Amino acid sequence: MEKPSSPLALLVSRMPDPDEQGMYCTDINKQKIDSAISEIHEGGRKNVIGLIDMLVPPGEGNDVKPHYALHCLAVYVCKLNDERQQRRFAETLASQLGGDRPKAVQRYLVRQLQVAGGKEVVETLGKLLTDEELCEPAAQALAAIGDGATEQLRNALPEVRGRYRLTIVQNLGVVRDAKSVGALKKLLGDEDREVRLAAAWALANIGDASSVGALLKAADAEGVYERIKATQACLLLAENLLEAGRKSEAMKLYTHLRDTRTDPAEQYVRDAAKKGLAAAG
Amino acid sequence: MQKGKEVTRRQFLKGSIGAAAAFTIVPRHVLGGPGQTPPSETFGGALIGCGGRGNGTFGELGPNVEKLAICDVKFVGRADNKKVYTDFRRVLERKDIDVVAIATPPHWHALISIAAMEAGKDVLCEKPMTRFIAEGRAVAEAEKRYNRIFQVGTFGRFGASQNESNILTHKIMKSGLLKNCKAVHIKRGGLKVKEWSGMVNAQPQPIPKSLDWDMYCGPSPLRPYHPHRFGGTHRGYWDYEGGGLADMGQHHYDPVQWTFAKDDTSPVEIEAYAPPAHPEACGMWGWVEMKYADGLTFVFDSGEWGEPYNRKEPRDVSISELDEESRKKIETMPDPEPLVRFPDAIRTRKQAGGHAAAAHRCATLLHLANIAIRTGRKLHYDPVKEEIIGDEEANRLVNQPMRAPWHL
Repeated sequence: MEKPSSPLALLVSRMPDPDEQGMYCTDINKQKIDSAISEIHEGGRKNVIGLIDMLVPPGEGNDVKPHYALHCLAVYVCKLNDERQQRRFAETLASQLGGDRPKAVQRYLVRQLQVAGGKEVVETLGKLLTDEELCEPAAQALAAIGDGATEQLRNALPEVRGRYRLTIVQNLGVVRDAKSVGALKKLLGDEDREVRLAAAWALANIGDASSVGALLKAADAEGVYERIKATQACLLLAENLLEAGRKSEAMKLYTHLRDTRTDPAEQYVRDAAKKGLAAAG
Repeated sequence: MQKGKEVTRRQFLKGSIGAAAAFTIVPRHVLGGPGQTPPSETFGGALIGCGGRGNGTFGELGPNVEKLAICDVKFVGRADNKKVYTDFRRVLERKDIDVVAIATPPHWHALISIAAMEAGKDVLCEKPMTRFIAEGRAVAEAEKRYNRIFQVGTFGRFGASQNESNILTHKIMKSGLLKNCKAVHIKRGGLKVKEWSGMVNAQPQPIPKSLDWDMYCGPSPLRPYHPHRFGGTHRGYWDYEGGGLADMGQHHYDPVQWTFAKDDTSPVEIEAYAPPAHPEACGMWGWVEMKYADGLTFVFDSGEWGEPYNRKEPRDVSISELDEESRKKIETMPDPEPLVRFPDAIRTRKQAGGHAAAAHRCATLLHLANIAIRTGRKLHYDPVKEEIIGDEEANRLVNQPMRAPWHL
């Protein structure tokens, strides 16, 4: 093996070597790893960038040790319980996104931001939502971070196409963005079934009372799977409305399902609606 | 339903009438029951996930389930969408399927369980029940919302709940009379840590033509294909499971959780001794200590890395720890109702012994242990809100984002 050529490389070399099976199961020395990570952290931004420089896309070289070290560092900064240091680490990772680094490397950096990032990186992550190769991990990182993510997802919706539009729609539901209700309602009529279903679920999860009629219409769909999923959205919306004190809208949903699910195969939905009505009083 | 109209098996199964009135309106010999199942009384079944555990899991559905469909993402090129499928959604659309056995890797367990119950099916799902904590709550909510039968695929609690000593412990713990519980249960070894570790240096390989890799990855990140991420060894990756701890932990702690009457709560303090975890591959750890609010302590001690656990010695609950008045109360307490096995549960519509809410609490033990290993931090958990207290980053592992179109 090549001799480490810099202080950082020397620290990285203290990460474990994979065993014969390619696993981290033999000679795993916690103290050795912890002390190396602590020293890498003391080197600040320069060392973080240096670690990132050692990363390569899968299949294009051996970056096992820096790959592991960067994740250990992300976990380490969370343990410090020092907001300033954590923010500085996240900002350093974010500064390496959107440029010329290989997309696979950027995806890995986004995943480390999902571990240790906060509101300081949501704008950078938001810019990645229009990149087909980075949209999915960026949306997941935003949903995990939560704080400040909503606006980024909302702004991206008109800009994205294809499968990644679905990603944005779904995550607007995850973050429960009430300001996206209008756009989501329009998507209930989308030609893509998955987008229609994601929009229905998002509206239900947001708990939007004005979506009752539209969701009931969706739930009466002919397609079996779509009918099942849209019905689930109706029941979820009803539960959310009841919790928010919107009893009459919830009862409208339950009543419709109780009265329309007359096929014996849908008796269980009818029963669920009856149970909901009883709970609503 | 009209009064006097014949009740078909399907109506009984799909509806709640069975739960309320089966034994008054419908003669037992028509519906069948334990030991009285007529030959014609069969359920339509499907097996989703046809790997190593598939047929064994399907067998747990009981003797009266006819296998009408099998489904696996590795059936590309041989699926006919009549008996053989690659997409579980097509299976769930079938009205003649009543019960589903799920033996996929765990990252699919919750989503398919929920989708099946949304489609009116009863579910027997392999362990571990879930990949992360929020999934378990969602499965339990679906079970309740649709009034379906759910059983996790580990059955140790059925035997444990017939043991006299366990029943006494269960009653003491259930009574709440033991205010400061000093009991310690330690699971030493048998957690297959090395066996179910992941590779840290796997290089991308061509996807087999028979495999829908995108569907396999499902809610998890779409990674480059490597055979070690598939077919049993998937257990070594956080994307799909949680190593030997997740794979074996539910087997071990399911009966223990029942014995100590912890089916409706979770530990409040979790601490791990482990080296820093790899971001994708599960690896080595030493032990994890988990304390409940009443003082009860559960421990996973891998015996495969570092110093063994030595903070506490194993200790049982004893009735002698109670005062005389409390002991008398325990003596007059009725024994718990026998747990209902899945084949009986789907006929009687009684909750299965390993139902979703209980199985979720057991899976939570494994997930909390793994979160403590992955974060390297002592965790404080709120068992009611099901959140880690004061640790936003750790909570990101409690409820993990999914790849669209999959969501809870």
